[in-house]
Amino acid sequence: MKTLMLGILLFGSLLAQEVVELKLPNTNKVTIKLMFKNGSVCDPTGKEGLTYLTSALITQGGTGDLTYADIQNKIYPWAAGYSSSVDKEVSIFTFEVHQDFLNDFYPILKGLLLNPSFSQNDFDRVKRNQQNYVDQVIRASSDEEYSKKALEDFLFRGTKYQHMVQGKTESVKAITVDDVKNQYKNFFTKNNLMIGIAGNYPSAFLSTLKKDLQNLSAAIPVLPAQTEPKMQKGINVEIIQKENAFGSAIFGGFPMNLTRKDNDFAAMMVANSYLGEHRKSYGKLYQKLRETRSMNYGDYSYIEWYDNGGRNMLQPAGTPRTTNYFSFWIRPVQIAKQLKNQYKELEDINVGHAHYAIRLAVREIDNLVKNGMTKKDFEATRTFLRSYIKLYVQTPSSRLGYLMDSKFYGKKDYVIEMDKQLAKLSLADVSRAIKKYWQSANMCVTIVTDKSEAELLAKSLKENLVSPMSYSNIVKAGLPKEVLDEDDAVSNFKLNINEVKIINSADTFK
Amino acid sequence: MRTFFSFALPIFFFSAIGLSSNAATKPFPYPIEQHKMANGLNVVTVKFDSPGIASFFLVVRVGSRNEVEEGVTGFAHFFEHMMFRGTEKYDKDKYNEELKAIGASANANTSLDRTVYHMTGNAQKLEKLFELESDRFQNLHYPIHDFKTEAGAVKGEYTKNIASPFAQLEENIANTAFDAHTYKHTTMGFLKDIIDMPNQYEYSLKFFQRFYRPEYTTLLVVGDVTPEQVNKLAEKYFGKWERGNYEAKIPVEPEQKAARFTHLQNGSIPPYVSLNFKGPGFDDKGMDSPSLDILLTILFSQNSKLYQKLVLEEQKVRSINGGIYDTRDPNLISVDASIVNKNDMQYVKDEVMKAFEAVKANGVDEKMLAETKSRLKYSFAMGIDNPSSIANTLSHIIQLTGDPESINRLYENYEKVTVEDLKAVAKKYLTSEKLTIGTISADAEGGVK
Repeated sequence: MKTLMLGILLFGSLLAQEVVELKLPNTNKVTIKLMFKNGSVCDPTGKEGLTYLTSALITQGGTGDLTYADIQNKIYPWAAGYSSSVDKEVSIFTFEVHQDFLNDFYPILKGLLLNPSFSQNDFDRVKRNQQNYVDQVIRASSDEEYSKKALEDFLFRGTKYQHMVQGKTESVKAITVDDVKNQYKNFFTKNNLMIGIAGNYPSAFLSTLKKDLQNLSAAIPVLPAQTEPKMQKGINVEIIQKENAFGSAIFGGFPMNLTRKDNDFAAMMVANSYLGEHRKSYGKLYQKLRETRSMNYGDYSYIEWYDNGGRNMLQPAGTPRTTNYFSFWIRPVQIAKQLKNQYKELEDINVGHAHYAIRLAVREIDNLVKNGMTKKDFEATRTFLRSYIKLYVQTPSSRLGYLMDSKFYGKKDYVIEMDKQLAKLSLADVSRAIKKYWQSANMCVTIVTDKSEAELLAKSLKENLVSPMSYSNIVKAGLPKEVLDEDDAVSNFKLNINEVKIINSADTFK
Repeated sequence: MRTFFSFALPIFFFSAIGLSSNAATKPFPYPIEQHKMANGLNVVTVKFDSPGIASFFLVVRVGSRNEVEEGVTGFAHFFEHMMFRGTEKYDKDKYNEELKAIGASANANTSLDRTVYHMTGNAQKLEKLFELESDRFQNLHYPIHDFKTEAGAVKGEYTKNIASPFAQLEENIANTAFDAHTYKHTTMGFLKDIIDMPNQYEYSLKFFQRFYRPEYTTLLVVGDVTPEQVNKLAEKYFGKWERGNYEAKIPVEPEQKAARFTHLQNGSIPPYVSLNFKGPGFDDKGMDSPSLDILLTILFSQNSKLYQKLVLEEQKVRSINGGIYDTRDPNLISVDASIVNKNDMQYVKDEVMKAFEAVKANGVDEKMLAETKSRLKYSFAMGIDNPSSIANTLSHIIQLTGDPESINRLYENYEKVTVEDLKAVAKKYLTSEKLTIGTISADAEGGVK
């Protein structure tokens, strides 16, 4: 039923091309973004990763007229650039070129979108890199990114949202060039396209672009029904064990029926910023885990997907979603093996800091649900956000991206509208929203850790064993009583554990 | 942690907004206003059309390069963390509160040659930023317990980073390639020194006294501000900051006479070869730095013969990049390749060396040289479209020479580079005896000669 309705809606958009324009007469660059409403949810079962590979092959392959090498040779002196990104529900192509070369560059853009070559040679190269990502890179290069992707796999198990946009080992292997051609025809069409353009471009250029893109496939994409993940029963933990991990990288979260479209979003932005604003020292999680106890490099929380949080300081555009969840990120904490090596006084410990850290984070969420925020914290956080969100849109590309995301959510300009909503928000709105959307009893937690840590950590979690914070003597000596008292409370805080599983790294993302 | 510019720095150009007649003739398109204060603090203002927004940077020319004493590697970076631990006037909680009220994007980072404290936010709150920053730069005061505690966060940062095999290799390459110079250790420092950090409180006081001084620092403001306004605030808030007198004696690296090797046995990622040649330190007056930037762009861009052969046609290589570490003292020129099959590791190294030999013998195509100059110009013109990216570009050049005008000199020099210059730098630097080869594969030994 839902699928049918979406199909009709898309059909309706045939009459009016969706276009977002941002005229910037003072810039020398033209930015074009083409957003297709498809994303990894459109991957056929058994071919997960197909939408990603299709997008990647368009930007890393040739056209009917030019090979990939020809294109690189042509655009080299112009320093023009283009790339693709794929999320769960959209794929976006971004092109950036100096205005001096806009007309020279345009035939290349047009060729890539309307006449991609999809040659076997390009396909083999691009697919090999994607295969390598799902087989090796995600497991080996960053444990925190690994635990984040593993959390999504856990939260959305059995749904179209489960798999990484890059797919899975077996599914990527199964993809053929013909699959890519079909995906292109069925899901990269004139009927699910939003055009965005920013910069100092002639109006005639936009008219040509709009007209030419009418030559994309006329198919009506059939999108799957919106994913509605089930709330977990209790706290379920998956510990992913690997060789030679230096710490325990942790992500936790639960489904949350809230997006930028909803009126409560502003209220939850305030609550979340107070609990764990991304890469800021203002959040409670950061202050308690990192600043007071120096357990790791940082601790944050999220009410929507945040792409590449290890690199991005300000939330990037380009990942709008209709399905959402709350999550918390505990950057790698110490494991027993390392602590034993580093401090003689800790040579008898069996478990590192992961259990304590999870307890502290869940207890902070619990406190916030029970007690809410003070008026002073509410005001300070709101004031901060009203300035801070304006920094999300500093470049032409980010401004355009945010405007296109706004349109996805049925808004005109998210940053401006959010400021207005924040202005009229009350503490009561925030308290009510926290109780509506957050709780501390049911969630998924993923931990990527060393093989030496997994078993005893699992036992500690499963049996709700006391998990005292193991400080080095030099730090412990100076800790004030209130910190030690809080440690006592945290280490005995009962987690509503339902199940704890240990999984070998090789067995994840199946 | 190391600032690595594969290909050149982004470059200048003519387009641009609100040019003054003076600036129009210079590669960097915006006027750079400099005001040197009596205590040695250099104040740099760049007015940019960003209504209501400004970037406020403090660039301190201290980094892991200055860590000359035994047992304190990683200290410049650790000290950056301590700068957020408060003063008598604003303890860390009060400082946080004030920063939060400003609503700016604020942070800091450290690399080999410098530590940068940066904020971007509401230009109307500029005076408050001056007040907060001048206070902590002159009156930093943290409890000893906070000092000991913060060291754990640094260890957490190390723990996060070192999960990557590439970070492990980078650490090994620096340690292998250098004998005497402090570039031997990464900015994070050696793990044993990181673990010992809580015991170095006394040294931290000395560190602050030595390096957090006006003569080491440039104050840089870009955006919706005027030089008069910035200079006045600088005099008001930083005028009493006392000049210091310390200079670290950085050991000179002896000449390398034979190739060196380091290998990481790790089968969890594809085989990897990293070729690192001893190169020059950054120089805005000579031709070596701009020539190497241009040569490496020509040889390793996606339109290069080597890339198209190894990556596109033969598909033996997943990716290949080349670039030079821009640093004050001589550092490495690196070529890194991720390889499909480990049996091709030697082949890839040989192909790279063959490409270098071809340049030494025959130079490069004039057309390619001209196109590369064009690429660098346009890349820069498109890149500096907001206060934060302009401030980042200038802070990079300030760390190297102390003078933001070096950006103009460098880019004027790019225009002057000739084919003969490219042949000369290839002969001078890209030779086997100056090489440190780093490898990653499942095997016990790297096997690349």
